[in-house]
Amino acid sequence: MAHFHIQNLSFSYPNAKKESLSGVTLSVEKGEYVVLCGKSGSGKTTLLRHLKSVLTPHGKRSGQILFCGVPIDEVSKQDQASKIGFVMQNPDDQIVTDKVWHELAFGLESLGCDQKTMRLRVAEMASYFGIQGWFHRNVAELSGGQKQLLNLASIMAMQPEVLILDEPTSQLDPIAASDFLNTVRKINLELGTTILITEHRLEDIYHAADRVVVMDGGKIIANDTPRRVGEQLYAQNNEMFAALPTPVRVFYGAKAEGDCPLTVREGRNWLSKTFENRTLAAVEPDSEPAMEEVRNPALKVKEAWFRYEKDSPDVLRGVSFEVPAGSLFAVVGGNGAGKSTALKAVCGICKIYRGRVEIFGKDLKKYRSGELFQNCLAMLPQDPKSLFVKKTVREELAEMCREEDKIAQAAALCEIESLMDAHPYDLSGGEQQRAALAKVLLTQPRLLLLDEPTKGLDSFFKQKFAQILRKLRQQGMTIVMVSHDVEFCAEHADLVSMFFDGQILTTDTPHRFFGQNSFYTTAANRMSRCVFRNAVTAGDVVALYQKNREGST
Amino acid sequence: MKRDAFSQYHPAVNFVFFVGAIGFGVVIQHPAYAAAGCVSAALYYLLLRGRSAWKLILSMLPLAALLTLINPLFNTSGEHILFRVFGRPYTLEALYYGMAIAAIFVVMMLWFGCYNAVLTSDKFTGLFGNLIPALSLLLVMVLRMIPNFFRKMKQIIGARRSIGKGAEKSGSTKEKIGQGMTVLSALTDWALEGSVVTADSMRARGYGTARRTSFQIYRMTLRDWVLLALMVFLAAGVIVAGGVRAEFTPILSIAPLTWGFAAYCVFLSIPTALHIKEALQWRISISKI
Repeated sequence: MAHFHIQNLSFSYPNAKKESLSGVTLSVEKGEYVVLCGKSGSGKTTLLRHLKSVLTPHGKRSGQILFCGVPIDEVSKQDQASKIGFVMQNPDDQIVTDKVWHELAFGLESLGCDQKTMRLRVAEMASYFGIQGWFHRNVAELSGGQKQLLNLASIMAMQPEVLILDEPTSQLDPIAASDFLNTVRKINLELGTTILITEHRLEDIYHAADRVVVMDGGKIIANDTPRRVGEQLYAQNNEMFAALPTPVRVFYGAKAEGDCPLTVREGRNWLSKTFENRTLAAVEPDSEPAMEEVRNPALKVKEAWFRYEKDSPDVLRGVSFEVPAGSLFAVVGGNGAGKSTALKAVCGICKIYRGRVEIFGKDLKKYRSGELFQNCLAMLPQDPKSLFVKKTVREELAEMCREEDKIAQAAALCEIESLMDAHPYDLSGGEQQRAALAKVLLTQPRLLLLDEPTKGLDSFFKQKFAQILRKLRQQGMTIVMVSHDVEFCAEHADLVSMFFDGQILTTDTPHRFFGQNSFYTTAANRMSRCVFRNAVTAGDVVALYQKNREGST
Repeated sequence: MKRDAFSQYHPAVNFVFFVGAIGFGVVIQHPAYAAAGCVSAALYYLLLRGRSAWKLILSMLPLAALLTLINPLFNTSGEHILFRVFGRPYTLEALYYGMAIAAIFVVMMLWFGCYNAVLTSDKFTGLFGNLIPALSLLLVMVLRMIPNFFRKMKQIIGARRSIGKGAEKSGSTKEKIGQGMTVLSALTDWALEGSVVTADSMRARGYGTARRTSFQIYRMTLRDWVLLALMVFLAAGVIVAGGVRAEFTPILSIAPLTWGFAAYCVFLSIPTALHIKEALQWRISISKI
């Protein structure tokens, strides 16, 4: 008997013109690891929320959902609470209590467990998830990754049979995200818990899935093993193909034959085998011009030092870099290295105590207040929500600027014309990002700072965001972005810098920068470095592949 | 805070001790009892806080002196008139009474200082969680919300400054208030949004499906029971023995000491004794290695 059986489920929100789910039929077997993917707004979250009665949205519904053969509405609330675990997106808001140990026990307390059982279960969970070290801590002191792990552990304490995860890693940095996903995988392998997960970052989980389900416009358009789904999406020329892991995209992009590689390892083997004993016509993408001496930089930071408190350690320890006018300058580096602080120092929110910052050739300190943020500099913060203060997007934009035509222009550029009357909080992550960007652009900056702009965006919105950035640069804007997203930087940046230990270590063009690294680099580079040199995007690898194949035949 | 043996006991034991110490300290005006309270509270506070304890203890002295000297100005009854202030008598009895009041005040302040160091907020909620589960959960959630609120406020203000919408120092008061209101309303929206997720997360984990129990991170062990019994026994001794009566005005009349005073002294020195005992044990066990 299937664990979950969804039969012909259709659903529409009240007052919605379109159905959010239409005729979804899906069954999930016990112990299966199912990855659900699709663009934002394709109905993934709506579908997942139907699998637990207390979270099910209100609206018009038809069809049936069976949990272990019983209609879900007839399963008691207590059974649902303990047997169906649900991890949500936001690590912070899911936490209820103020202490780690209390959070672990929260579900058990709600179910009315006795002390002895609770004590044992909490101890088990703390040990299994490696929480002993921070068991007595305040929740507020934890990192994002630790918080999400705590959410997972506190649900696992109730010993669920199914674990449903709705984009659990979208707010985490790549290292914390892959740790988290490995833990989920471990739960599936060691405990046999059924897993149903949605994710943007398919790179880490695609190969491990037993089955991949792809949704589009409220319908299931593919439902098969990872390898076959890749094939189907490519054949349909579907937009979701762009979200698949690099090896899959390279394989189909190069129109190769045979078994499709899913992981970097498989991709590497496939490339090595293809080009075994062959002389290669080209091993490197067309070389870029070497970095020139920067003349008239838009932004120049020289030996900047900063710390938050008098006795705390320095966060910026002599940061120096120059950003050429009109370029997209990306800063990559680990968590807590001080990247965001560097951006804050540039716009004067953090006041450096040594060194200097020059914006368009003028010292930051010489800008009068107000002058700096008018037609000069603006920053898009990491969380776009922190910019929203009004009831509609239109009012948000009107707060910045009175002229209707300028507002219309910015809205058109960011493609949010259709969302103008919506409440900013009702938008999806990608839409919020663009609305916030439109608001920032109304200050008409010549230098735009972006803090983790691709966090939580799916591949489709990322492409759209990249297009907008390209348009802005054509208008002559200089953009500095700080990011964990190595793939995005490799594809779209002009220059990439490595930030480590409060300093900028190296700056180079993406090909040279990522070509030299062997760990901190893109999947395409890791996969192709055995054959090609400095190929950092899927596009590079495909181009080289085809060039060499043509040469040999 | 330094490591302290008494703090390692169950919060209920800690709580009962402070109820006893502060309760007796306030009710009993007998000078010998008050002196015992001052000495033991100061001693324990010193052990807990180390050198920084002197700041509070020394700041108590002028306050106590002030309280002592002021009392006769308001309370004029008594036999022995020392001198007259604006025609009103300033009596010896009232001065003694002032001393007693000052001592009670000092005892209370010092014990509350110790209380803060020993019974932290999580111990307090843990202690009363079982009695009033709903209220303690509320308390815990509020404790978590307040710092969150401030963090988000900082974030919003920072974000607004970086697009030139910060409150300028040169701006008028009206502008500043306007900016403040904008931030506050944004903050409310954000908090409401977050609370929807929190509510979902609570219901998803079965909140409201059964009678809530409360996870006790602290457990009553044998030594907790023993110490609790000892404390109750001593406190009962103080009450039963009596002899705590003390009247200052109009005629000084202080009851002679009974064995109740001994019980009181033992009671008050429990935390200090435990602290010193552990320190000695540790020394000895190290010297044996």
